[in-house]
Amino acid sequence: MALAARMPHRATLWAGGVDLGSALDLVGGVLKYLGLAFLVPAAIALGYSEPVWPFLASGAITAGVGGLLDRISVGERERVGPREGFLVVALVWLLVPAFGSLPFLLGDVPQLSNPVNAFFEAVSGFTATGATVLTDIEALDRSMLMWRQFSHWLGGMGIIVLAVAVLPRLRIGGRQLLQSELAGPTEIERLSATIRETARRLWTLYIGLTAVAVLALALLGWSGLDPAMTFFDAVAHAFSALALGGFSSQNESVGAFAAVTQWVIAALMLLAGINFLRLYRIFVQRQVRVVAGDEELRLYLGILLVGSLLLVVELLTGSFESGEAGVRHAVFQTVAIMTTTGFATADYTQWGALATMTLLLLMFVGASAGSTGGSIKVIRHLLLFKVARRELEQTVHREAVVPIRLSGSVVDERALRSVAVFVLLYLAIFALGALGLVVDARRVGAELAAFEAIGAAAACLGNVGPAFGFAGPFGSYEPFSDLSTGILAGLMWLGRLEIVPVVVLLTRNYWRA
Amino acid sequence: MKIVVVGAGQVGTTIVEALHNEHDLAVIDLDGPRLTALSYRYDIRAVEGNGASRRVLQDAGIGESDLLIACTSRDEINLVSAMLAKRISRAQTIVRTTDVEYLDAWRERQIEVDFMVSSELETAHAISTHIGIPAARQTDTFADGQVQIVEFDVPAEAATDEVIGRRLREARIPQESKVASIIRGDRAIVPRGEESILPGDRIIIIGSPGAARVWSRIMTRVEHLVDDVVIFGAGATGVAIARVLLEQGIRVRLIEAQADRARKVAEELPGARVFHASGVDPDFLERERIGASRAAIFSMREDSKNLYAATLARVHGVRYTIAVVHDPISIEVFERAGIDVAVNPRSVTAEEIVRFAHDPRVRQMAMLEGDRFEILDITVRDTSEFVGRPFKELPMTGSLIGAIVRNGTAIFPHGDDMLEPGDRAIIFTESARVSQVERAL
Repeated sequence: MALAARMPHRATLWAGGVDLGSALDLVGGVLKYLGLAFLVPAAIALGYSEPVWPFLASGAITAGVGGLLDRISVGERERVGPREGFLVVALVWLLVPAFGSLPFLLGDVPQLSNPVNAFFEAVSGFTATGATVLTDIEALDRSMLMWRQFSHWLGGMGIIVLAVAVLPRLRIGGRQLLQSELAGPTEIERLSATIRETARRLWTLYIGLTAVAVLALALLGWSGLDPAMTFFDAVAHAFSALALGGFSSQNESVGAFAAVTQWVIAALMLLAGINFLRLYRIFVQRQVRVVAGDEELRLYLGILLVGSLLLVVELLTGSFESGEAGVRHAVFQTVAIMTTTGFATADYTQWGALATMTLLLLMFVGASAGSTGGSIKVIRHLLLFKVARRELEQTVHREAVVPIRLSGSVVDERALRSVAVFVLLYLAIFALGALGLVVDARRVGAELAAFEAIGAAAACLGNVGPAFGFAGPFGSYEPFSDLSTGILAGLMWLGRLEIVPVVVLLTRNYWRA
Repeated sequence: MKIVVVGAGQVGTTIVEALHNEHDLAVIDLDGPRLTALSYRYDIRAVEGNGASRRVLQDAGIGESDLLIACTSRDEINLVSAMLAKRISRAQTIVRTTDVEYLDAWRERQIEVDFMVSSELETAHAISTHIGIPAARQTDTFADGQVQIVEFDVPAEAATDEVIGRRLREARIPQESKVASIIRGDRAIVPRGEESILPGDRIIIIGSPGAARVWSRIMTRVEHLVDDVVIFGAGATGVAIARVLLEQGIRVRLIEAQADRARKVAEELPGARVFHASGVDPDFLERERIGASRAAIFSMREDSKNLYAATLARVHGVRYTIAVVHDPISIEVFERAGIDVAVNPRSVTAEEIVRFAHDPRVRQMAMLEGDRFEILDITVRDTSEFVGRPFKELPMTGSLIGAIVRNGTAIFPHGDDMLEPGDRAIIFTESARVSQVERAL
């Protein structure tokens, strides 16, 4: 046995230096279990006497295909190294929305009959973006609505994180996979000895917070403070808020609810935008003081404050809103956009240039590393700022040795370099995406303002959701052509995986032995 | 007193030189000829062998000895030697170390040694005293930090003022503080009213944190306050010096020629500015305006390099230069060359050890943290004979009530104050009197 373990691994399917067999195998394993997720909307459909079969069929197809992939290298243990890890993560995040769009197609949802649109909606769901091609959300069945919300929730904390927590076979290589999926530039800080336990604790905390959110929102409804908030809506919006997604069951998004509900949801988004590893320290380990000194957290709150103030100034002096409503809409929109949620209480496209500019820039800020949000993230801005400051210092003091510190501890130079490269790639992909939208608009002769293209690319790449113009919070991405819709879905995919795991697949050295 | 000295190097030799007249010494070393040479000069018992060996220690007569001084240049030998001595004899142990890690572990009572001396730290303290900003050597806090016990080296060059050089009765001792002891040379003095603090003394203060700060200002020669120091060479000694200076709020620049080391030190010392450069590069000295700094310390590995760099720095305008000198003969060379101060780590280490070897009282005082019961924290019983009597009427026994914690706040008592039942008294006392004090309260 000991001898066998040392024998060189033989894979069935090799592509250069990549063990395709093992990778596909693992993707299959994840898909197989994802089939179970379709039982949730199926149950809802049963409860509201809506068609159940689209969900059951989708679940069966997903599990079946997963099972087939899983059999590619039977009897062999997977060997998931760094290379296979990237492939697994990239493929999972492409295939899961693809299968996730099946209920829309099978269930014959009129607004989603176009497969490209259905795929866009599913990608937007799982990546917790919240961009929609629907024009009348409330026209959908309850079960379809809940499937959208539930996809947010699954993708928010991460499908792979869940898989690592639950599937025993992911014990090996789990750390690598987790690193690729969990947002942030620095190494995962371990919450416990094993990565599996860390993943479990993250999900447990996530489920716990979601339960609290459901309860809080439902209480608002039951107590009569907000008659519009049903239990269904409470669950739907708790899923969306904790995942920093942005889908809503209402055409008017959170604007459909009372002021107090809007404040509560803003608080939920604010919370979910904090690093979950930090939240674990606060809520479970009660190390509040350690967290209070966290530089990223401070900057996160600082930017939210500044953004809110700018919007308050805009709303009150521009006489778009007044009094409590002005402050509420300003704060809500700042939190919703910066955490990359994309909820809305008001149509911010009607506000002035100060609001538009602030919100556009906030789309590039993002929430904290290790949260469920997307975009560049506060920590990268912070590190880049520090690197820039050091460069300035070293132009005068050439020999100065200045390690960069974050909350007191030194950050590895390699990590700093990868932060710089990430931001560069992020901006490049954003630029190419925006350009692609305009080129395609010219091709099909559609009307698309440059700013609308910029907004849509930024909102999708940053997993924010609503953009500006026709794709605003109460608008829809429906007018985009199929190709543009595809481009935007690709941007969401890239944004959710923080670019590198996808882009690295396009380099030649990745595939080389 | 019978003393076993492990190690006959520079430190060991200096110790032997200082102690051989009054005590019976046995010296252990691996180097036979070196031992022979030492035994011709001084009347000692020479034992050739490894000081970390049980048999050798027994040969040297550890069983009948009162004190073991382990001062080889190797930390681990010293530690093993001291630990063996603890088990097989009743001797007290003093260990020399070059590693701050061991020192920290000892302070936290994780290493069973009575006293530990670090060459680097002693050097750093010697240098900071020379700059005129003596660091508090040891600080203990009591009652949630409201009461501090601080040790200072009074600079040898200190001018007499309202505190230094005056009789304590007339001196303007900062409020909320008391002088607990004065250590002069190798003697401890009970600070009665007619005694005074002299330059070169070491004093132990008990008082509030605020008072401790006032004391450190008194100890500082304000006329040429140094606030910007450049240290050449970021080895263990350089880093220890930087640490001590940083703690006192002095701006420190460290210059290190090795890139890896510079990076490591920069990570270790967030407060210091670290440069990766050669100390003998005139362009660099010019660019960084090294000449404008008040003092420069040279702690590179080679004496000759230190001398060269110090001379260059003087040319660039540095007014005050201090060099760490490894070869004792170099001291004179340095001073002739115009370097203001030359400090030899081995001799300051030996001095420190001798100080403690000589007088058991000093030893116990220095062992405040070493689990010796010198500072008592006692709650006063209501049946105590001292309750309700003003302080000035209490018997003068050499014990000192430094502070009282009443209802959670620290009070620094005057002659007319009275002890109340339930007070927590922070008492500075001799070990021999511990039981007496406890009975009285």
